[in-house]
Amino acid sequence: MLKRAVDWLDVRLGVRELWQENTSGYLVPRNINAWYSLGTVLLALFGLQFLTGILLLIHYVPDTEKAFGSVETIVNAVPYGWLIRNLHAVGSNLIVVVLLLHMLSVLFMGSYKRPRELTWLSGFILFNLGLGLCLTGYLLPWSQLSFWATTVATDAAGAVPVIGPKLVEFLRGAPSVGAPTLGRFFALHVVVLPGALMGLVGFHLFCVRRCGISVPPFGKDAKPARVGTVFDHEKHPGGIPFFPNYTAEEAAMVCFALAVLVAVTFFAPQIFIPLDALEPANPFVTPEHIKPEWYFLWAYQTLKIFPSKLIGLAAQGALMTFLALLPFIDRGEERRPAKRPLFVTCYVLGLLLLIGISIWGRYS
Amino acid sequence: MPQNELPSSQRRTFLTVLLAGLGTVLGAMAAWPLLRYLSPRDRGDADTKVTLARDKVPVGGAEFIDFRGRPAVILQPKPGEFVALTAVCTHLGCIVKWVNEKQEFLCPCHGGRFSTSGQVLGGPPPKPLESFNIKLDGDQLVIG
Repeated sequence: MLKRAVDWLDVRLGVRELWQENTSGYLVPRNINAWYSLGTVLLALFGLQFLTGILLLIHYVPDTEKAFGSVETIVNAVPYGWLIRNLHAVGSNLIVVVLLLHMLSVLFMGSYKRPRELTWLSGFILFNLGLGLCLTGYLLPWSQLSFWATTVATDAAGAVPVIGPKLVEFLRGAPSVGAPTLGRFFALHVVVLPGALMGLVGFHLFCVRRCGISVPPFGKDAKPARVGTVFDHEKHPGGIPFFPNYTAEEAAMVCFALAVLVAVTFFAPQIFIPLDALEPANPFVTPEHIKPEWYFLWAYQTLKIFPSKLIGLAAQGALMTFLALLPFIDRGEERRPAKRPLFVTCYVLGLLLLIGISIWGRYS
Repeated sequence: MPQNELPSSQRRTFLTVLLAGLGTVLGAMAAWPLLRYLSPRDRGDADTKVTLARDKVPVGGAEFIDFRGRPAVILQPKPGEFVALTAVCTHLGCIVKWVNEKQEFLCPCHGGRFSTSGQVLGGPPPKPLESFNIKLDGDQLVIG
């Protein structure tokens, strides 16, 4: 039956050829490593976020009077609601971890270099969209934590000269976080950002497939980052088939990530759902020591380090712009980390600085 | 090939069956919470009694209420005589309307008509409206 259906499709669309070209006929570098599978892990995690997000939408009510109660109902009354909600909340944090690892591995292996500038740029925008999804989703439970974290996060935009206060009001839809904020964050979280994310993921995958997978820059197989005058798909004759060989390795990584997700969801969800998240929002009582989520701590602390918020915001903007445009700035052909001491030094120090500032922000 | 080694086609079949089995078990494990999450929740109100102030139901009039998650209607055809019926038409599930002038129910969807006791007076409904217990407790009507 299945064979007949495939035959039917094959005659019309040539699906067998398409499948063969993109699976067993698609050869990837023989020395490809596990870090290359993080993109697939992200796809799986985003897929799970979409699924759990849709399920949460069935019971969630985007109304300041009812939002917290609806989340309480999901967690306490709906069968397995706790599982769906915690998978969604923990999953969002895990996605940020994997996004960071993916970016760090691409940076370390110099895979962002030409001809993969657009792959990097689209990936960097995807990273920011992921953070945007986290920020907008954080408010939706309308808890003390989400309310005040959003207040602090949106307040940062007030440092922009001249239009700052107007910008904050525009972000919130009101002078302070309230029903209009919930409405626009809800629309962003469930429609606008996921739509943009899906489109950009498609473009990112297109870039990856069209350019070809880069060879890991280790050993004698390492290749310099070059681009010719005409388009050239990077082929890997003598490589291993994408399916089943590399797919099996990717599946193992996906299973590992899912195991981590399930373990945290079952045994330690409080890591990402602290006590302040269990109290309904009270616009008149700010909880003590309110802190943003761990992935925004560096930005939060940067704003505090600099004498003025504007300089802090400008520093953040400069860093993000630098990272976005890195392939256009770092135009060297060398990809081997051992041959790029300056880059590796900056990479390690930058990473330590980011971790240090985040820890400082957490305990300041 | 050593004698005790399976041919690769048999190994492949074995692995496929193993993976399919594992996939089915994992799929079922994921599907069960999903099914339970999506299933209607037990409202726990199967035996719930609903109270209503007596003066809400005028003589010859009708009051529509929510009874155990479904629309119901309370009538007072004669002073002190109360009737509680489901307001869901037995034809296709539309909500019946009370026609005060005719002292009967009319289903707006396909013209089904019911008496004050829920009996079918005309139209396509196949059976009468379900009735519920109702009693007067002081100035409160207790339904269910």
